[in-house]
Amino acid sequence: MSDQERDFPTVFLAELKEILGVAGFHADEATRLVYSRDASHLTIGQPLAVALPADDSQLRQVIALCGNAGVPVVCRGTGTGLSGGAVPGSGSVVIGTSRLTALGPVDLTGRRVRVQPGALNDGVSRHSADCGLHFAPDPSSQAAASIGGNIAENAGGPHCLRHGVTLQHLLHLEWSDDRGRLLRTGRGLAAERGLDLVSLLCGSEGTLGLVTSSDLRLVANPADESTLLAFFPDLEDAARAVVGLLSEGLAPVAVEMVDQAMLAAVEEAFGFGFPTDVEAAMIVEFVGQPEEITEDGIRASALLSDNGAREVRSAADDAERTELWKCRKKAFGAVGRLAPSYVTMDVVVPLGELPGLVREIQVIKAEHGVNIATAFHAGDGNLHPGVHYDDRDPDQTRRAHAAADSIIRAALDRDGSVTGEHGVGIEKLHVVPWQIDGESARLQRGIKDIFDPGNILNPGKLHPPADAHFRQVKPLPDGIEFKWPNLTVTAPADTTLVEIQETAMERGFWIPVGAFSGNPGIGLGAGGTVGDLVAHLVSGPAFCAAGTARQYLLELWAETGDRRLFHAGAPVFKNVAGYDLVHMLCGSGRVYARPLAATFQLRPIPESVGCWHFPLADPNRREEDLGRLTRFLAQRDDGLGGPVMIVDTFAENPEPGAVILVPGRDRPWDLGQVDKDIKDILDVPQSVAHREFPFGRARELLDSGLIPDWALSSPEWTFFARLPDEDATPGMWPSTAGRWIWQAAPRLVWSPDPAAPYPGWHSDLFCTDGRMQTPCAPVDGVPLEFLKKMKVLFDPSGALDTPPWLEEKDV
Amino acid sequence: MSDQHMASAASTGQQLEDLLRQCVQCGLCLPHCATWLATGNEVQSPRGRLLLLGEMLRLDGTDTAPVPGAFLRAFDQCIGCRACETACPSGVPFNLLEYGQQRAMAMPLDRMGGLPRPAVPGPFLRRMDRPDFLGFLSRTAGLARSLLAVAVGKMWRRRLAEAPVGVGHLVRLLGSMPASPRTDTGLLQMLDGLCHREPRDKQVSEVSTPVPAPPGHGPRVAFFHGCANAGLLPGTSRRFVDLLGWAGCRVEEPLEQDCCGALASHTGRPGRAASLRARNRNAFSGVVAEGAVIVAEAAGCGHELKSYGEEFQEKVVDGVVLLAGLDLPPLGRVPLRVVYHDPCHARHGQGIIAEPRRLLAAIPGLELVEPEEAEVCCGSGGAWGLRYPEISADLGRRKAANLAATGADLVVTSNPGCLGQIADGLLLDTPGLPILPLTDLIWYAVKRGSTT
Repeated sequence: MSDQERDFPTVFLAELKEILGVAGFHADEATRLVYSRDASHLTIGQPLAVALPADDSQLRQVIALCGNAGVPVVCRGTGTGLSGGAVPGSGSVVIGTSRLTALGPVDLTGRRVRVQPGALNDGVSRHSADCGLHFAPDPSSQAAASIGGNIAENAGGPHCLRHGVTLQHLLHLEWSDDRGRLLRTGRGLAAERGLDLVSLLCGSEGTLGLVTSSDLRLVANPADESTLLAFFPDLEDAARAVVGLLSEGLAPVAVEMVDQAMLAAVEEAFGFGFPTDVEAAMIVEFVGQPEEITEDGIRASALLSDNGAREVRSAADDAERTELWKCRKKAFGAVGRLAPSYVTMDVVVPLGELPGLVREIQVIKAEHGVNIATAFHAGDGNLHPGVHYDDRDPDQTRRAHAAADSIIRAALDRDGSVTGEHGVGIEKLHVVPWQIDGESARLQRGIKDIFDPGNILNPGKLHPPADAHFRQVKPLPDGIEFKWPNLTVTAPADTTLVEIQETAMERGFWIPVGAFSGNPGIGLGAGGTVGDLVAHLVSGPAFCAAGTARQYLLELWAETGDRRLFHAGAPVFKNVAGYDLVHMLCGSGRVYARPLAATFQLRPIPESVGCWHFPLADPNRREEDLGRLTRFLAQRDDGLGGPVMIVDTFAENPEPGAVILVPGRDRPWDLGQVDKDIKDILDVPQSVAHREFPFGRARELLDSGLIPDWALSSPEWTFFARLPDEDATPGMWPSTAGRWIWQAAPRLVWSPDPAAPYPGWHSDLFCTDGRMQTPCAPVDGVPLEFLKKMKVLFDPSGALDTPPWLEEKDV
Repeated sequence: MSDQHMASAASTGQQLEDLLRQCVQCGLCLPHCATWLATGNEVQSPRGRLLLLGEMLRLDGTDTAPVPGAFLRAFDQCIGCRACETACPSGVPFNLLEYGQQRAMAMPLDRMGGLPRPAVPGPFLRRMDRPDFLGFLSRTAGLARSLLAVAVGKMWRRRLAEAPVGVGHLVRLLGSMPASPRTDTGLLQMLDGLCHREPRDKQVSEVSTPVPAPPGHGPRVAFFHGCANAGLLPGTSRRFVDLLGWAGCRVEEPLEQDCCGALASHTGRPGRAASLRARNRNAFSGVVAEGAVIVAEAAGCGHELKSYGEEFQEKVVDGVVLLAGLDLPPLGRVPLRVVYHDPCHARHGQGIIAEPRRLLAAIPGLELVEPEEAEVCCGSGGAWGLRYPEISADLGRRKAANLAATGADLVVTSNPGCLGQIADGLLLDTPGLPILPLTDLIWYAVKRGSTT
């Protein structure tokens, strides 16, 4: 060994210390021991040193140094992860984000906030509370878990049932690649298209890059909340009740459950007074206007009772709400007292499979002679069976792990996923091959090679070994498959959306894309297919400030350029088993892969659509009115999707004016109130015509003549957007009246007329043709070299669409 | 609650191991731990310290090298605030960490690679449980502060904060001497001013005294004043006795009492701690045998006294808890927004959370607000703050900022160490926001309630 090699650690550590200073560099025995563990009870080795950078420049310098030296880097938030994602191997450097805790000012109109990765999850919500906003993903660890960790694992939580998981709340990421370069991804625009690197980075478990700053989407605090707690003598009945509840079109913000073993543990630990002679306790929570949640609460209560609930309690106020939630929120703490060790599982199955899985777990429990206490994010089909054992007893240990593997197989047999929110880490490496096919695994390894050729970013995590025995590709569907208990629809790529939507709407559900009924209308045209939607992500005005159709896409079959078939995702509402190829590819055209079939989540349709039509003779009032209307309607973020929009007809003759469309319930306190508010804003109430149409029969609306033809059937659209940091510049509204549709979501407007550039608005972020063309060139901050290498990985022979900017093969 | 003794009693490795197993490493303790918040280093966190303890026990059972100094340093740096115990969802007892601390204290300094030089020299530190010495310090500090205010200006604390280390240290020590108006007049004037009350002409001292309830109406109380309050806050102590009297208590002050022994205990002087303990036992045993309760004015003293043993545990009552249970005379209006800081020895050590708030809520016109990070230690920790001055200073500023962010007009607390620590943080960043002992505010409310 040369002198240089022998001294390597000394030299390296000295250089590391030089970057970090005394407060940030730690290589003593105590720190190395403490940072070798996280919350998962798994260990590999001890790190060489622990780096606690004070800012993102230090963080990137550390990565660069480690990359040059070939020293692996393992990023860590607060170490609350359960799959071993943050445990380091020997000779690695742990980078802790605990000193990167800054929270930026809250952007009230834009509902966003910029935070550093070490900021704590519920710290973000406390920080935003004064603005009436909060960060929706709420894992049980939220009091300690860091945002960076949430992003690395694509964390979920009870309230993700309605609001979506972490990925749906990321607008923009700044991150360090394997060489310490600062990169930026995501414009935070609602309809952005192209290869979605935010979807790729989110859930990548620190193996592709380290986030140094993130812009988070915030959700409005609810006007009111209603919480029910129901006790079921039979666990399977409880599971069936969950399916029944959601199949009725109810949209609670959370549906949680604990089983008898869990309830008993909570009672023994805390003595809250919950009954322990029932097999399940279920929490159902609604948010919204007081009348709305009363209605929903009554419906839910009746449904639960009809489906076997022995008792249904209701919280009268916040104090009681906290009481009711205790049986679920304290489960984590109670479990520690039950047994010295336990396998914390995280399986997810399609919603309709929940009763069956629950039954099968009972059998597995008996067969292996183990104790299992389970907590459920029941509405998402996601459950955490905790298999208890004493690790000092080898037989118990063996049986517990065998039981856990059996539960995983049972979930996979039901089309589920091995992990809904905890991630793969090292814990699930051995079961991921049971779920994904070899081609999908090969593509994921290829992506890793592109982003981290030196394999220094959290090596040994997430990717099973290349020679593992992966499953065969899941068979393609033959035709449209509606799985009503699962609330999903699977269809081949050439299925028209009209066909899907018309059938779904008859049952009171839809994929929230397009405008009304079966007419995808704006953007895709009547012939638009599933493949088109996956490729081009034209969601139409159906979404508000919330996510795009990408959110509802669950599963994808696709073909690479050289005709290799692969499958990604699963027909479940939460899934973090490996890289999120589904959402990464969605909206990237047919450049990297050709969609062959997809599964979408179905959501309840809005009950009605309110339509307001008003003329406006005075063009000077136009800007002011549009401004106020848009701001007012942007508040209507109910997370369900629906065509909130303003059709600007000021250019029409003889009746310049506008048409407003808002989905909701035909009640005095909902659309009735919107009516009052709009008339207040417009100040000329007598001229406003208002009608309501049932959403499922929107043909009447289309035939009513209220909405101009061009708004319903133009074949091509130009999208304009303003970037978040451009709000302050003047010229907010196009000064020329034209044919525009204003998205109630801020900063987005559509027109069927060719792009007429005007200051402050960008049309170059999207393609002029909303339908079939390739995605436009990437903007600043998206590394072109990565996209070119991705192209080579997915389409080595260039058989698929290739836009000019991907043409040069200089990689 | 004699956990300190439980730690030594549970000294068998097996018992400790069993207790350790309760920790599931969830990490939910971290955001409540002041040293983790200040350093970002998980070694300075409850979960981290428990991992080290587990390894220490493992090493004890082997023939390998002794426990690394770095391990023991981690325990030494634990404030002992017990916020982790309150936060832990699995009920891991704090005595595990105390065991680690005792191990650390028993180690020679050089084994631990030396410890931070304390902010005050040893001889100084050792005298800080003597009321007369503390009184002398207080008067000197008061004089020094007045001189500085004249010489350097009102913002002397901030301006001198950036001075070279020696001066900066001294200035911080000056700022963190707990203080409240010595005379009743002084307190009345201060709070009248804060409430924007018109000065009641020159005869402020002629404010009538509330008519005390008939003797025997309230309990018989043996007053434990504690070294810090006696030396540093004599006015407050006296007023507290007034309050007890007005509530109908029969108050006695055993003369032979001394410091509760907490300081000696936490600075590695078990001998002195034991002799103080014996002295106090003697001093109070008579009145206790006759049915009196021992009331401790400071949360820290109360916590220490309760560890004396069975009969003390039953007979010791925290001053604020006692007051909250008594029939006070009518309270006058105090139109202030007030924020209460929970001393760790009260909130975590004794579970006292509701009583001070109940007392404050009973004052007409008073708006009570809650700060962020209410459960996090202010960074005083008695002797700890003097031994780890940098982190203590950071934590003091953090706590002061959280309290000031509530928009309060006044901060109140019920422990002298916290009082001084927060006073310094406020002085540095928000000098207009005062802090007072809680009992002084109650005293004021009663006084104003009796004036027509």
